[in-house]
Amino acid sequence: MPGYFWRRFRTDMHLRLPLSGLALLFACALHAQDRFTVSGYVNDSTSGEALIGASVFVQEIQKGVPTNTYGFYSVTLEAGTYTFVVRYIGYADLQRTVVLNADRKLNLLLRPTVTEMKSVEVVGEKRVSNTESTAMGRMDVDVQKLQTLPALLGEVDILKTIQYLPGVKSNGEGNSGFYVRGGGPDQNLILLDEATVYNASHLFGFFSVFNADAVKNIELIKGGMPANYGGRTASVLDITMKEGNSKEFHGQGGIGLISSRLTLEGPIVKEKSSFIVSARRTYIDVLTKPLINKDSQFAGSGYYFYDINAKANYRLSDKDRFFLSGYFGRDVFTLKGNEPGSPDFNIPWGNATVSGRWNHVFGPKLFMNTTATFSDYKFRFDGGQDEFKFKLFSGIKDYGLKVDLSQYPNVRHSLKYGAQLIRHIYTPSTVDVSSGDTEFNIDTPSKLNANELAVYAMDEFDITDQLRMTAGVRLSAFAHIGSFREYLLDDEGNATGTRDYGAGSTVKAYQGLEPRLALRYRLDNTSSLKASYNRNLQYVHLASFSSIGLPTDVWIPSGKNVKPQVGTQYAAGYFRDFADHLFETSVEVYYKDMENLIEYAEGAQPQDNGNTNYDAQLVFGNGYSYGAELFIKKRTGKLTGWVGYTWSKTMRKFPDINDGKEFPSRWDRRNDLSVVASYELNKRWTFGATFVYSTGQATTLPVQRYWIEQRLVSQFSERNGFRMAPYHRLDLAATLLNKETKRKKDPVTGEVTEVPRKYRSSWTFAVYNAYNRSNPYFIYFDTEGSIGNGDLRVVAKQVSLFSVIPSVTWNFHF
Amino acid sequence: MKRLAKTFPLLALPVLLASCEKEITVDLPDTPERLVVEGTIEPGRPPFIILTRTQSYFAPTDVNTIASIFVGGATVVVTDNGVPHTLQQICSGDLTEEEIQQAAALTGLDPALLSSANICIYTSTDAATFGVAGHTYRLDISAEGKTLSSTTSIPQPVPLDSVWFKLAEQRPNDDTLGYAWARLTDPDTMGNSYRWMARRISHRANGETEDPTFISPLGTTFNDKYINGLTFDFNAIRGRQFYSDQPEDQNDEAGFFKVGDTIAVKFLSIGRKEYDFYTTYDNNVGSTGDIFSTPANVKTNIDGGLGIWAGRGVYMDTIICR
Repeated sequence: MPGYFWRRFRTDMHLRLPLSGLALLFACALHAQDRFTVSGYVNDSTSGEALIGASVFVQEIQKGVPTNTYGFYSVTLEAGTYTFVVRYIGYADLQRTVVLNADRKLNLLLRPTVTEMKSVEVVGEKRVSNTESTAMGRMDVDVQKLQTLPALLGEVDILKTIQYLPGVKSNGEGNSGFYVRGGGPDQNLILLDEATVYNASHLFGFFSVFNADAVKNIELIKGGMPANYGGRTASVLDITMKEGNSKEFHGQGGIGLISSRLTLEGPIVKEKSSFIVSARRTYIDVLTKPLINKDSQFAGSGYYFYDINAKANYRLSDKDRFFLSGYFGRDVFTLKGNEPGSPDFNIPWGNATVSGRWNHVFGPKLFMNTTATFSDYKFRFDGGQDEFKFKLFSGIKDYGLKVDLSQYPNVRHSLKYGAQLIRHIYTPSTVDVSSGDTEFNIDTPSKLNANELAVYAMDEFDITDQLRMTAGVRLSAFAHIGSFREYLLDDEGNATGTRDYGAGSTVKAYQGLEPRLALRYRLDNTSSLKASYNRNLQYVHLASFSSIGLPTDVWIPSGKNVKPQVGTQYAAGYFRDFADHLFETSVEVYYKDMENLIEYAEGAQPQDNGNTNYDAQLVFGNGYSYGAELFIKKRTGKLTGWVGYTWSKTMRKFPDINDGKEFPSRWDRRNDLSVVASYELNKRWTFGATFVYSTGQATTLPVQRYWIEQRLVSQFSERNGFRMAPYHRLDLAATLLNKETKRKKDPVTGEVTEVPRKYRSSWTFAVYNAYNRSNPYFIYFDTEGSIGNGDLRVVAKQVSLFSVIPSVTWNFHF
Repeated sequence: MKRLAKTFPLLALPVLLASCEKEITVDLPDTPERLVVEGTIEPGRPPFIILTRTQSYFAPTDVNTIASIFVGGATVVVTDNGVPHTLQQICSGDLTEEEIQQAAALTGLDPALLSSANICIYTSTDAATFGVAGHTYRLDISAEGKTLSSTTSIPQPVPLDSVWFKLAEQRPNDDTLGYAWARLTDPDTMGNSYRWMARRISHRANGETEDPTFISPLGTTFNDKYINGLTFDFNAIRGRQFYSDQPEDQNDEAGFFKVGDTIAVKFLSIGRKEYDFYTTYDNNVGSTGDIFSTPANVKTNIDGGLGIWAGRGVYMDTIICR
């Protein structure tokens, strides 16, 4: 599309959207005579868990509403008699006749059609038809059903499953890092019960921090981000923890090759409050310790991680409900330096989040949620060799408060508005070095403080029966505030003096308007066209020295030199269901523009970060990405699953990198294909398979060599100017569930009957990389031999991480 | 410090994962050849300039190809305080075996290479070209139609307070292997940069000097950003010549000095651009095969080419390991 169009479109949006948003707010207040409201919650009849996104459909008017994150819904209709049909995948449809002559409260319980741990549906499930909502680029993942899919070392991983969705790229072999539509790793907003998770991976990215047993629902938004989300430019991954069974005590767990899990849940006060606690720990350290030779390079080294999820809720009344949830996880890595000059380390890092929420129903049409959140990511590194001691800390801490209101004035409108305040406290890399009794004089950088504020309003509006619009606007502001010590630098980057900002004084402030618009035009009952536009501002950035995402990566705020990132996305799509919604298909195209991205300058070194400004080694640039995504899914039946294909291009342009020339991003992959399938053979056996293919990863390789001090120096090509071999892999899994019933002999009559088992267990056998493809992880050049001996060789080597890896996991449930 | 930051992720993977490696063929694009300068000037010594060219990464590696990277016939001029001195070309083909050993010690080139091929470098016997601390030197080179230039200064040397040998006790009951240690008092002005070099000058049974040249182990370049005005101790491992096939570089003794060694210590004071060169050089050379580092070219102070023109203040000392 011609450039002027984009510019016009963008300017128009900025001017008109806020106004139209306001107009809508007023428009809604005008109706509401002779109308009554039905509102309430939709819950699972066996566990009491709220059902997110269940469809509450009114047959007479052929319109429906989805339940919100807390299972709440509200429909306003003219007086009359209506038939409500409540649908949710995996549950029996519930039909209710409602005579409406006054506002009514109607709590609905849905009965699961299948017992748990058996899979009808796999992941990527939407409960409301794809062609109905304005949502684009949005995917739900049903965690309960993940266990039948193959997983590396048997560790079920939410983030890796997300990578199978179109438009989402993985960060290389076995890595849980994900990259959405050309965005960087810091551009995904990862929320766990509304608290931000800053580093979502364990073990250098091989496992995600989310324990699938504790998670109820996952929603990924990769485009058309609604106005109630903000602060990131690429995507939102909204993870909701289970509330815990409010009726009965239950437990589940598993024993795998590298870790074990246990989850307990149950009522505290029946029907009023419940809890869930879930814990997981790896035991690679315990298993490998005896195998490591005492004289080996790795003797005394070890690694483990653990995490704990806990949540409790209390229903004060039908109007008030409280939730308290928390996550705590740590990775601990110890390394004994048994090589010359290699030091000992102890490196713990991890996240903690806490969120407290209060749901209040003001009336049948107004639902409020207030959330207070705390999140903390910490990294510490203690190293030492002989008299030389080295400590490094970094981290980020957030205190947040958020109020969200949902208003349902009539069946054509659904309004949301709210405000959010976050206090960020950043600890940039802080080092402490000593040699013997001498402390090196490294200034302890003051912690960086910042306030982030946002207000938003949005309306989901059925303009006609065909045309639905979700329009919203978000106004966000960010201020880096004191105390802060700024270093005054000369042209060479040497500090010549300092300037101090007092506590609370503003160092630098930014604000901006973020318009969001999504449209759906229904062509017929089974197909629709959609389009969306959104502009997002992002005030926090991740500075990374490595290319793969390490716990050493540091979060930094926007400030004097670091401008907020701006992401603008235009998307359009065609959605169609086939065979009575058995198959769901979509084609989406997008164009995304990214401004003010950050990178470390070429040759920047972590040790140069001290005694200078936190942004001294950074360079700034822009990027863009465009692509097309195809998605075909089979929703129900014995065989379920999907095929996702993405064609995309992602480029970056930095004046100070690659001589200012445009270069492909590390996540630029032209072709990306994922196939996910699950087949339920019978009540006991379920098979799963996944296949992925993607264009080889872009990498930077040396093109020339030269010699200095008799050592080989590499002269590199253009940034990411080389492609590794394509990546493809097939994984297989088979899950065997124990029998549903057991034989029981009646002690009196001697009669043998089949009774249902209370304890269910299953075995999952999986093979990762079934046909043993040597996928490239990285390529490097090395020399062998010596010039003097005449046997010097320069060779290119490709490193592959995982060959065929079988695994077995035992899961239980009671 | 850098060593710490670098090794941590590197060593993590093999502990946990069975990775595998295979040799592959990579088609690299043709890139125009560039000239590379390795030039030093130190107090009381003439300048030494080694002029080479870049090669395609997978160019052959036989002695003839390696020898062909050395660029002869260049005009090399070093200007001290406005007075230009044209350097002479000296080729190893014209030297005796004894002179080759001396040339190797002075230039850091492999004596085997110097004897097996005709390698030319640029230097001078004129005492007027010898380095003086505090002076600034301009370098102009014209060769093969290219012109290169640079300037450098020789900083005042900073002495080490003391140097010694200490057992590493890395392995139980080991009473022979250790590191070289030094105490440095950094001057109170900001902007000092240093580079450590050492050479075992004790002899082998066959009479050869253990190290033919001074070696700087990777990661021994540092500045006073965090240590300005402080007195502190630091240590250094034993560097290895790239071309070494000596047994102590292949077995458990690699990286260690040993009781019985005599070590000549050459402690260099360098400027900011030289510091940038040596740190990025160490990083480039040391990060081969390291997925955790972002590839970066070595920073150069040569206009029109690659490499370094380094004035170096020198402090010398000796350690007898016992």
